[in-house]
Amino acid sequence: MSERKIGVYVCQCGGNISDYVDVERVRQAVAEDPDVVVARTAMFTCSDATQEEIVDDIKLDDLDGLVVASCSPKLHTFTFRGVARRAGLNPYRYTQVNLREQDSWAHTDDRLGATEKAIRLVRAGIARTRLLEPLDPTVVETVPRALVIGAGIAGLRAAIGLADIGLGVILIEREAEVGGHVRELGTMYPHDRQGQELISELLGEVRRREGIALFTNAELVRKGGTFGNYEVDIRTRGDSNMTRRFEVGSIIVATGFDSYLPEEGEYGYGIPGVLTLPEFKKLVDASEGPLVYGDRPVRSVAYIYCVGSRQGEGGPHQYCSRFCCTSAVHTDLELRAKSPKAHQYHLYRDMRTYGRYELLYNDSREKGSAYLKFAPDTPPEVQRRGDGQLEVRVHDQLTSQEEVTLDVDLVVLVTGMVPRSNQELIQRLKLPVGRDGFFNEIHPKLRPVETVVDGVAICGACQFPKTAGESVASGLAAVSWSAAMLKQGRAELDPQVATVDPDLCTFCGACTEACPYGAIGQQELGGGRQVAVIDPATCKGCGGCAPLCPEHAINVLGYTGREVEAMIESLAAGVA
Amino acid sequence: MDYDVLVIGSGIGGMESALKLGDMGYRVLVVEKEASVGGKMILLSKVFPTLDCASCISTPKMAATIHHPNITVRTYAEVERIQRRQDGTFSVSIRQNPRFVDEAACTGCQLCEQACTVAVPDQFNADLVSRRAAYIPFPQAVPKKAVIERPGTSPCTFDCPAGIKAHGYVSLARSGEYEKAFNLVLESTPLVGSLGRACFAPCEDGCSRGSLEGPVPIRRIKRFVADTHYQSELPLGVEPGSTTGKRVAIVGSGPAGLTAAWQLRLLGHEVKIYEAGPVAGGALGLTIPNYRLPSEVVAEDVGNVTAIGVEIELNHRVTDLGELSDRGFDAVLVATGTPRSGRLGVEGEELPQVVPSLDFLETSKLGRGMDVSGKRVVVVGGGNVAIDAARSARRLGALAVTEVCLEGRSEMPAFDWEVDEALAEGVQLEDGWGIARVQGQDRVEGIELKRCTAVFDALGRFHPTYDESARQSIACDLVVVAIGMGPDTESFAPLLDRRGNGTLAVDPGTLQSRVPKIFACGDVVDGATMITTAVGQGRRAAHMIDHFLNSQAFDPEEFNLLLPRVEAQDVLRRQKTHSRKDALGSGKELVLDPRDFHEIEAPLSEAEVHYSAGRCLDCGVCSECHECVNVCPADAIHLDMRPEKVETEVAAVVVSTGFKLFPADLKPQYGFGRFKNVITGMQMDRLLAPTRPFNTVLRPGDGKVPERIAYVMCTGSRDQTVGNPLCSRICCMYSIKQNQLIMGALPLADVTVFTIDVRTAGKGYDEFYVQAEAMGTTFIKGRIAEIRELDNGDLVLRYEDIEHGGEIREAEFDLVVLAVGVQPNLDTRQLFGAGELQHDPYYYVEEVDEDLNPGQTSIEGVFVAGAASGAKDIPESILHAGAAVAQAAAHVEALRVRS
Repeated sequence: MSERKIGVYVCQCGGNISDYVDVERVRQAVAEDPDVVVARTAMFTCSDATQEEIVDDIKLDDLDGLVVASCSPKLHTFTFRGVARRAGLNPYRYTQVNLREQDSWAHTDDRLGATEKAIRLVRAGIARTRLLEPLDPTVVETVPRALVIGAGIAGLRAAIGLADIGLGVILIEREAEVGGHVRELGTMYPHDRQGQELISELLGEVRRREGIALFTNAELVRKGGTFGNYEVDIRTRGDSNMTRRFEVGSIIVATGFDSYLPEEGEYGYGIPGVLTLPEFKKLVDASEGPLVYGDRPVRSVAYIYCVGSRQGEGGPHQYCSRFCCTSAVHTDLELRAKSPKAHQYHLYRDMRTYGRYELLYNDSREKGSAYLKFAPDTPPEVQRRGDGQLEVRVHDQLTSQEEVTLDVDLVVLVTGMVPRSNQELIQRLKLPVGRDGFFNEIHPKLRPVETVVDGVAICGACQFPKTAGESVASGLAAVSWSAAMLKQGRAELDPQVATVDPDLCTFCGACTEACPYGAIGQQELGGGRQVAVIDPATCKGCGGCAPLCPEHAINVLGYTGREVEAMIESLAAGVA
Repeated sequence: MDYDVLVIGSGIGGMESALKLGDMGYRVLVVEKEASVGGKMILLSKVFPTLDCASCISTPKMAATIHHPNITVRTYAEVERIQRRQDGTFSVSIRQNPRFVDEAACTGCQLCEQACTVAVPDQFNADLVSRRAAYIPFPQAVPKKAVIERPGTSPCTFDCPAGIKAHGYVSLARSGEYEKAFNLVLESTPLVGSLGRACFAPCEDGCSRGSLEGPVPIRRIKRFVADTHYQSELPLGVEPGSTTGKRVAIVGSGPAGLTAAWQLRLLGHEVKIYEAGPVAGGALGLTIPNYRLPSEVVAEDVGNVTAIGVEIELNHRVTDLGELSDRGFDAVLVATGTPRSGRLGVEGEELPQVVPSLDFLETSKLGRGMDVSGKRVVVVGGGNVAIDAARSARRLGALAVTEVCLEGRSEMPAFDWEVDEALAEGVQLEDGWGIARVQGQDRVEGIELKRCTAVFDALGRFHPTYDESARQSIACDLVVVAIGMGPDTESFAPLLDRRGNGTLAVDPGTLQSRVPKIFACGDVVDGATMITTAVGQGRRAAHMIDHFLNSQAFDPEEFNLLLPRVEAQDVLRRQKTHSRKDALGSGKELVLDPRDFHEIEAPLSEAEVHYSAGRCLDCGVCSECHECVNVCPADAIHLDMRPEKVETEVAAVVVSTGFKLFPADLKPQYGFGRFKNVITGMQMDRLLAPTRPFNTVLRPGDGKVPERIAYVMCTGSRDQTVGNPLCSRICCMYSIKQNQLIMGALPLADVTVFTIDVRTAGKGYDEFYVQAEAMGTTFIKGRIAEIRELDNGDLVLRYEDIEHGGEIREAEFDLVVLAVGVQPNLDTRQLFGAGELQHDPYYYVEEVDEDLNPGQTSIEGVFVAGAASGAKDIPESILHAGAAVAQAAAHVEALRVRS
């Protein structure tokens, strides 16, 4: 038995754990371990007061190991590593045991069982901690430059933001022109600015900044390098197909969205006079006076909401597209200004003119537009009658489910945003895609623009439907994230990475093949012996290689074979 | 430049701003108004749409904020004013509010909280339960240090000239801590029993309950506390301080002298009192009649003073102050009061049956009262002493007692209730008459009066004028003259300065005379005042003499420095409703023609004390009962802390002051505040939170676990009738989150949501809504017109069922949750000079270029983050903060380049 001095803290997590686990019993059970010097419970171990208590304990009892049994390590590993560091304990001699997601929440109906499981989980954590050696983070210098992919409104503004904080920027745009969807917009809500003007203003600002290199017709074709020092290859098309290589410290993805395109026949799409909202908005934007469609003045319009959104279980687009209610209402007001006498009917499910946008909705109603609510199981029907008249039939829930037939000149399908097809980029950057098809952040509150890929952030509508203003805000948030990472010029990487014991390695190549990060190379030792070698800055410590090694030559620091075996033995102790 | 960026507010937006800027390497100052960082999010149960535990996400951010090497945090502080300077930077004035707790010394042990005698609604539990005036905001508070809430001094305490912590002993009595209450009064004066009876109780005049159903009977509570102590025969709970070797002589044992002696002895000085009369107590012992203040009570009070070693020498009139100082006293205090009665100056005054009121009262009090039985007595005077004399005469058996005074009934200096009581006892009143002469040759036969036309002149000075033609005579056998009192100071004249009226002239702040070691206080300086005023001056004198003896500088301004008075209207405004609690009667038994001196006021019973003390509104919140000070093991509590001004300079400002929740009582038709089972969304979040006040979801009215729960959406939002047409963005989602948590906590509960539109527009939000519906939440489109309460506390909701034919329906529920919306935090309007920081028409901080520079305000270098610029949920606030700080950092960089 080693003689370690380990502190164990069992968290109640308010009631999240203690409602289902007898934490005091857990504490008593693990306190018996001779290496456990301090064992306490706390209402919120992560609270500052308890953190300070742990710091005091570490100093007072000269602890050389720390176990906190609380929630998922995804939430608090960094918190308690920080506690250890403040107390002068090597942060990698800390183990977080997950009593919440893996125990209390999973066994709300079995307090005894959950408590027994908790004891075993904590003992396993102690077993690991007993064997942990101090590790030092790998320190890398970071490049004070960012790559921004996509020069829509979010990407343009992010590039300016980065440059203004003193970071270099490589801004690439796949299209020949910058500006994305916003470039094509006329009057936008809520401040009635012109999309085109916003983009040219931003482009002017971009050009004024020496620190920004803008490439249009450009794509990322390769990403290499390591955290803080990525190598990116940018290929430009056009007059000269050429590929340039840059070093960047971070990458911001701002690739935007596609508009939903209804299928032929969906709410009559394909019939002349049935348009999507973007198509209709273009018409309205372009119209100088009263709106004319096909040589005839438009006297009446029916808007059908949620086309391609909120499609329900099984539908490809179950999400609400967020911006479209307000966009339709705003377009209604724009048309009202140009064709004051036009009748406008809105067939909606829930009006989601959130926040201040409610004022636009009120304005539209006060100016005479009619709002009818339909149920998702009785959607409106659109057809062109024999006499050529467009007709929309709807059961209006606001007037006793009455079936209303509207004869209109135009039907506008209020379509939302859909994820842009971007398979190559997804693969090159290994971007995480959510169930809704948009890119996923790590956590909407803790790390709202970061992805699980180190050094890669997302912003704008590639993450989820957003208004232009919201896209810009998230673009600037990605700037803050980049600056927080790169302004210091150096970064610390997790030292819990795989290592190869060259004495055991026979270089069979299994690990090199399996590594998803390309971190494992080959090295020739004296006598021509080939062994695998792992770049600690590239390795993510995923551990995928270790079990494949036939010689047991690979260990992940912090999760070595011995440590994992000790954990398993603790977990299974006494189980027949 | 002290800091690169000032961040105002430490909610989720403020913390995110500070952390990002700190990580970038900028120096950040965070100013937070509350005693903990964290804002509203830390108070929530879980957060949508991930159902993460709110605490678990907030606490690491809170800890990171406070420990970040680049971030300085000031909690319990307010930004008072920011001025933009020529060079684009800002000068900032910060008010650091006192916690009254030394943050460095406090260990967060919560003993103060347990000892505190004041409970107020716990704002961190949405007022569902109470907390103490000494408190740690919530279990995860950062810093986890106590704070004592003291918005000011309670009116009762503030108005007490004696500096007695009136609110303090009321709150101790409320807690049943009578001995502690007694000891608290002893901190000011030993005269607990006497003041409990004979004080005119200015504390009660200012009582905030006064404008409701009448003041708390503060004086009688003190009497109860004193009686309880004296009956208990408990030893005195205080001891003299360690001996200083200094000796003080005090001349006079009235309220001022006794109090000064008490205080000086507690400070360790040796004290000797010289009293000219046969008993100690001055007016208390000699002239206040026993029916108001029994001699035994005075003796008990005086006993306190002698118990700690003060020597009182009776029947020793001091005429030579110089001699006292020769006798080795290091200081002398003259507190001889106003023992002389005023004279009429009219014909016949020299007759033996014309007696000064003080002599009359003194002989009566000492049991050697004149025999007035069968005699007709006229008492001259309209003040309290005259009333005492008249009522004493009744008790001594007079045939008739007539009180004559210059003033009309309403102008009489005596208290109204005293005059009423005198009349009730059969005293006749002849008001508005002056004395022309006393009639009779060898003995008094009558008194001739002349009509007084005015008592005061145009300048308000005493200058009576008469209509000499209007006269009447009253036949009488005895005239008692009670027309004022004066000091007896001739013998002190060689040493001390005297004023024209005979009072001693001393420095009003230090009470020091022209002879440095001689001080004077009380009525001998101020003229006739009230007992409690004299007590206060006695305390002051002791404080000054102590400083003199220790050769310390005098601090007249610092003595008894109170926090500003809390005004009654502010106290009443704090609470939406006040349950009516009727005041007790006066407890006085008045009979016509009383014949003995037994005490007329009945004591309060213990139950009456509890009831009455329970009526206290805790105006100043902290009652200054000193229990926390007494229990704190770290000596961390310092009630003398005061606000500090901090001036600092910054390059940029981030305003992240968040939002307020809609006050639900502004929709009276929903009954919030009246119906106990109508709660707000925040209250439901507290009921569901891991740090919940009760261990389950229950309804506050009767603790029943609700089975039928209704949600009223858009309470205070999308509602022109309350002036807010905006949608609050968060309420649909937080309600749906609660729906899911309720169905987890109470699997049998039915949850119904009354809504206009369900607005779940965000990543994963609509899916979250669909999930709640699948779990069993019923959504009904219809706005609630009215809520009624049934006798059993259930609630009836009246609504138009829009999707089912628009019928008007009613439905019954156990618990109703009002999904209250977002309101602007108006604090932002005071930060800058008038109009500098623009606000939108709904009073949120205006974003002047929301399209391209979200968070930019009308002032260059000032940015707004989070809900201060309009309703936002948590992810939106965090992103918005990220946007604001990117620009704040750019501003700092630009300034660096410029300079």
